[in-house]
Amino acid sequence: MTTDLNITGHISKRYNEELEQIRYLVIEMGELVIKQVEDGLNCLLTSNTELAQQVIDHDKKINQFEIKIDEACTHIIATRQPAASDLRLIICIIKTITDIERIGDEATKLGRNALKIINSEQNPRQFNELKHLGDAVIANLHQAMKAYAALDIETALQVIEQDEQINIEFDNISRLLITKMMEDPREIKNSLRITWCARAFERIGDHGKNICEYVVFLVKGKDVRHISVEQIKQTLKDF
Amino acid sequence: MTIKTKSLTDGMEIEHTVGNVFADDPKMSMRNVDVFYNDKQAIKNVSIDLARNQVTALIGPSGCGKSTFLRCLNRMNDTIDICKIKGSLLLDGEDIYHKKMDPVLLRARVGMVFQKPNPFPKSIYDNVAYGPRIHGLAASKDDLDEIVVTSLQKAGLYKEVKDRLSSSGTGLSGGQQQRLCIARTIAVSPEIILMDEPASALDPIATAIIEELIDELKEKYTIAIVTHSMQQAARISQTTAYFHMGSLIEVGSTDHIFTNPSHQLTENYITGRFG
Repeated sequence: MTTDLNITGHISKRYNEELEQIRYLVIEMGELVIKQVEDGLNCLLTSNTELAQQVIDHDKKINQFEIKIDEACTHIIATRQPAASDLRLIICIIKTITDIERIGDEATKLGRNALKIINSEQNPRQFNELKHLGDAVIANLHQAMKAYAALDIETALQVIEQDEQINIEFDNISRLLITKMMEDPREIKNSLRITWCARAFERIGDHGKNICEYVVFLVKGKDVRHISVEQIKQTLKDF
Repeated sequence: MTIKTKSLTDGMEIEHTVGNVFADDPKMSMRNVDVFYNDKQAIKNVSIDLARNQVTALIGPSGCGKSTFLRCLNRMNDTIDICKIKGSLLLDGEDIYHKKMDPVLLRARVGMVFQKPNPFPKSIYDNVAYGPRIHGLAASKDDLDEIVVTSLQKAGLYKEVKDRLSSSGTGLSGGQQQRLCIARTIAVSPEIILMDEPASALDPIATAIIEELIDELKEKYTIAIVTHSMQQAARISQTTAYFHMGSLIEVGSTDHIFTNPSHQLTENYITGRFG
């Protein structure tokens, strides 16, 4: 369900171009951050130190995107005084890139923990669970960026709904790792590092969910943060 | 997305306007107003309340009828022979087009400030004193002095002109002239002030002063303002009404109109998607 929200169509063609350019930059930034998360998971699964270091190094690119898009939004606010859907778009973008930047930070955590785990003597065996969680988070992140690009409320709602499953998955992994730590204290150090990786994935899931909430705000003009999925659905039904 | 609402007070049906046209505490209530210039209909079935002690902004593209509608509110269109007005326009429940209503007295109650400052070619003092004199509002010279000083103070101009009240009003800057016109309007103790693009000919500083003044004036007066500046409407009004080709398309809280308007035409206009 894509929206009929018209991003362009202004009398000023330059304004249309400016908005389109910012929107494209956010999509580009989103693609880069998804690649970072994928690489973060892969370096853990394949014990690839080079890839882990690359994830850490590439975070700067995401930070640069954030600065560039922030500047472009400031320019639009100063020169165009956006209102209505244009204003919601700019607010949505400013908030979205903050979440994308934080996803980048979480991906960096994956890289750092991967380096520590790979360089440790212990060879942890809990990567299967992490792969399952990571794959689910990455799939959700793809959907979140798709919802943003297509202004697709239905996909956004699916992501918001799916995040609850991710949280349950994270709780399951946490319980499993705690059990393992209790069974064999030699596992504690690496199990904690894996827990932090799982936690990073869980946070990435939250940021993806946030992005989808901004998409709902952009399209429907309704702030659906901090309410349950059922309440969001009801709000949109009442709207 | 048309919402059909029904007046609680008079049973008249209002069509084609999105949003709530009814104010909780209306100072003026307009219902089903049509305005014709000869056969050409300039205002089509417009119903709206002006909420007491609030600023209502009327926005819309050129020729949409917002100024025509504003001018109906103190019968400024009476002087145009070809202009015919239908519908109900009530000021505190009183029909302003009733044959017993004196338009001169009405305009003292419903004052107006225009786009171009139009001070009389008289002294600053006489500009402000003109209204109170013709309406006999001052019993003595002292009374008149007090009205002039108070009005200039309320209009935020007194400090700038107190030492030259006998100087010509036309010698003031554009922003000062506009505030002089506002002081002249206030001097006859109106209940409502209508403003037709009061700051469009002013620089940003003079505009900011006028906007600040409007914000203060709403404590005592009900204000309706026509403006082409979206940002100005967003800054100073509590309610915004969007006109399009003579129809009132949408009325709502200014916050709502400028963040999430309900009607596509409103959205298009305030985001600059058509001329």
